[in-house]
Amino acid sequence: MLPYGVNATFLAKLEEIVGHAYILNDPNELLTYESDGLARLHAKPGCVLLPGSAADVQQIVRQCHQHRIPFVARGHGTGLSGGALPHPDGVLIVLSRLNRILEIDIANQRVTVEPGVINLDVTKCVAPQGYYYAPDPSSQLICSIGGNVAENSGGAHCLKYGFTVHHVVGVEAVLPDGEMVHLGGPALDAPGLDVLAALVGSEGTLAVVTKVTLRILRAPERVRTILAAFESTDAAGAAVSEFIAAGIIPAAVEMMDRLTIEAAEAAVHPNFPKAEAVLIVELDGTQSEVDGLFEIVEAICRRTGGTEIHIAKNNDERARIWRGRKAAFAAMGRVSPNYYVQDGVIPRTKLSEVLGRIRALEKRSGLRIGNVFHAGDGNLHPLICYDEQIPGQGDLAEKVGAEILQYCIEAGGSITGEHGVGVDKSAYMAKMFSESDLDTMQKLRCAFDPASLCNPGKVFPTPRLCGEVPGPYRQHPAERAGLAERM
Amino acid sequence: MREGTSADAVEGIIPKFVAEPASAEEVTATLEQAARDRLSVVTRGSGTKLGWGPPLQSIDILLSTARLNKVVAHRHGDLTATIESGATLANVNRELAAHRQWIPLDPYSGDRATIGGIVATNDSGPRRHRYGAPRDLIIGVEFARADGVIARGGGIVVKNVAGYDLPRLMTGSFGCLGVILTATFKLYPLTASSQTLVVDLRDTRQLAALAGSILASHLTPTALEFQTPPLRLLLRFESIDASVQQQSATARQMIDSAGLSARTVTGDDEAELWTRYGAPRAAGAAVKVSAMPTELASTLTLLDRLAAGNYSANGRAGLGVFVLHLDGDAAALEKIVVGLRESLPAGRGSAVVMKGPVDFRKQVDVWGPIGDGLPLMKAVKQRFDPDSLLNRGRGPGGL
Ligand SMILES: Cc1cc2nc3c(=O)[nH]c(=O)nc-3n(C[C@H](O)[C@H](O)[C@H](O)COP(=O)(O)OP(=O)(O)OC[C@H]3O[C@@H](n4cnc5c(N)ncnc54)[C@H](O)[C@@H]3O)c2cc1C
Repeated sequence: MLPYGVNATFLAKLEEIVGHAYILNDPNELLTYESDGLARLHAKPGCVLLPGSAADVQQIVRQCHQHRIPFVARGHGTGLSGGALPHPDGVLIVLSRLNRILEIDIANQRVTVEPGVINLDVTKCVAPQGYYYAPDPSSQLICSIGGNVAENSGGAHCLKYGFTVHHVVGVEAVLPDGEMVHLGGPALDAPGLDVLAALVGSEGTLAVVTKVTLRILRAPERVRTILAAFESTDAAGAAVSEFIAAGIIPAAVEMMDRLTIEAAEAAVHPNFPKAEAVLIVELDGTQSEVDGLFEIVEAICRRTGGTEIHIAKNNDERARIWRGRKAAFAAMGRVSPNYYVQDGVIPRTKLSEVLGRIRALEKRSGLRIGNVFHAGDGNLHPLICYDEQIPGQGDLAEKVGAEILQYCIEAGGSITGEHGVGVDKSAYMAKMFSESDLDTMQKLRCAFDPASLCNPGKVFPTPRLCGEVPGPYRQHPAERAGLAERM
Repeated sequence: MREGTSADAVEGIIPKFVAEPASAEEVTATLEQAARDRLSVVTRGSGTKLGWGPPLQSIDILLSTARLNKVVAHRHGDLTATIESGATLANVNRELAAHRQWIPLDPYSGDRATIGGIVATNDSGPRRHRYGAPRDLIIGVEFARADGVIARGGGIVVKNVAGYDLPRLMTGSFGCLGVILTATFKLYPLTASSQTLVVDLRDTRQLAALAGSILASHLTPTALEFQTPPLRLLLRFESIDASVQQQSATARQMIDSAGLSARTVTGDDEAELWTRYGAPRAAGAAVKVSAMPTELASTLTLLDRLAAGNYSANGRAGLGVFVLHLDGDAAALEKIVVGLRESLPAGRGSAVVMKGPVDFRKQVDVWGPIGDGLPLMKAVKQRFDPDSLLNRGRGPGGL
């Protein structure tokens, strides 16, 4: 039976927009779209649409708005917080067919793409000219720019170069009432409120993005990477503190602990030393700057107890080190039947204290916890190992994950550094933010989506209605077109 | 709260009341009263930018942030700091220098401008080329809404995607969404060494060619500025000494091979050069112009025609953003601004009037076209400040 709202007449209208081949409502076809990267949660949408243009997206959203049908945008479904989890009574708008690179402007360092373009493809299209797109999530081979914009995605190199929000200069987006807006643009400082910045990281709850203009950067003259082993995560943490104290902001500083080193070794053989912790430090910039600072970094690693130190001699060695780091999540499958990826942030100086608490929790819960982090910016990714076959362990893993978030909040940090709140963490928002903070964010949501149709039920702990604010009357497009009247 | 006097006047308008809160609670109390009695509120930092936007009609309450002026926390190990909005950037950076760190912002009048004012206008200076604008550096905000309720967004960690990005929404909102109480920034280490190259140029073609080749090179200058008249390019390198020397040498080679010559400025002369750089004219108008970097030269050529050579300008050659200083009567000024906007289609450029004689600002559209996002921005203003009490009519697009 079709859910209420998404009925045959409505489906017929949608089919008219996208064409028969691009509307899916057969239960088998829907399977692929029931979950995103957070496989634990799934829901069957009323239907799945694969629009081929921004105009199609706009028409779909207009239909949804007119019939008060909720809709959820989906990029490539790699999100880890359930952001793209379908609404059972709504439609899922999959943007994978909007995958064209529209404009490359090297001289102005801009690339304009459709939202379904894969992150790494942006770099690929400008690499021949010596440029790249800086935000590099580990999923960059598979995730979409639209998803990156929605999640404000980061990556290992964001320590020096910033997150998606620092690299998006303009978007075209369809608002929840079907109006299309152009925010920002290739030029900087478009006058107006920075609603573009608010849209970035809004997890698909404010609009559907249909076009994105990105800033690209000149590839650095020199890149050097060092891998240092330490006797403890504390010693590795001390080295990081010393880099900062020495006034060095590396391009990336990543830390892995024993369990994640073992897992990575088993999975992709990066030839990491057996140690309690390794640090991967990368410097980039001009030759003289990198060489000068690299000496200091190496000296600090030795002074703070680095046992084994490898310096990548060429691009292959560098790639091998990064392969080990980037495979860390997936590699956990080698050491545990199941694992749960947590994402929290702490002020970097609290690393030792919070890791201590995580170690104690590991003992107390009996679940092994591997740790990989973006150590430069304090973004922890505890990987909680469990076995689904053992009754209760799945739930326990979740509880352990929740407790770690509590440590992050107590340390003054955040419940998410890059994976988003989604459905997964909406319950923790109230622990991090006060009622009035959340109420204020709600005001923003209501300005974009007064009818609560755009990815409802995500990010915020309790669904709220927007209430009537006597505002300037805006004619609905359907009214203007004479298709509907306000009652 | 006290009654306003002529000493409190903003562009000749004496506020009915002046509030000088010393705490967040006092800001709340002031705003609650304003909301109850429907009094309009104008927020004032040190007043360096009160002339931005259209002229004021009247002021019920002038809310000064001057007494909210502390560095709340400098977490040097984390490279972050939380600052009250009334603190001046200069004082803050003096304090942060104790650990050889700073907020890498250098807008003109940086010695007087307050953190709140800089955030509210997203104002920056030459080093934006390397470090970005306030929007790129802010990681947390605490503000009082129009109803007096205090809200926070972001936090004290550099990486954080929990909830909507209120810090960036407040940045560049010109005080029309709330009164900023504190802002938290990511900091940068102070650099060890600095050098500036000054290149005299004959025409805008040379500017385009030289700036273009520097942008396409591996050089990482902290500033890449142009100035006119006389037309010059300024290039600043800041890093460890070896890198400054190497980059400066490489840049001089590029300049030589373009048939130009560079003057190297260091030490006190360099400090002096940058302190005076970008000083506004006492009279006249100032317009913030943004264009695509490759269209900078043609924009200047257009200005030669529109302003008949009677203008000066300086700004970010690598980013396409600059400040234009103009003289003339209201009609002449407006003609230039309108002419300029014709060559800057929405998204590919803008010209916003920052400062100027009251009669000019009354008659000109200060912001220029906002584009199809304006109804959305109005909806945001409506939700945050339904009675339009905060900086009424002075938010971007006339919000
Ligand atoms: C192995 C692995 C490693 C990862 N590593 C990282 C990492 O290092 N850093 C990091 O930040 N993330 C990482 N992620 C998470 C994920 O890849 C990112 O969040 C990514 O940006 C999601 O992109 P997507 O196209 O898959 O989006 P989806 O999962 O399809 O959607 C994510 C959210 O974006 C919204 N959305 C998608 N497209 C649009 C659009 N066009 N308009 C509006 N809203 C839209 C959806 O509604 C949803 O809320 C990782 C994931 C995996 C599986």
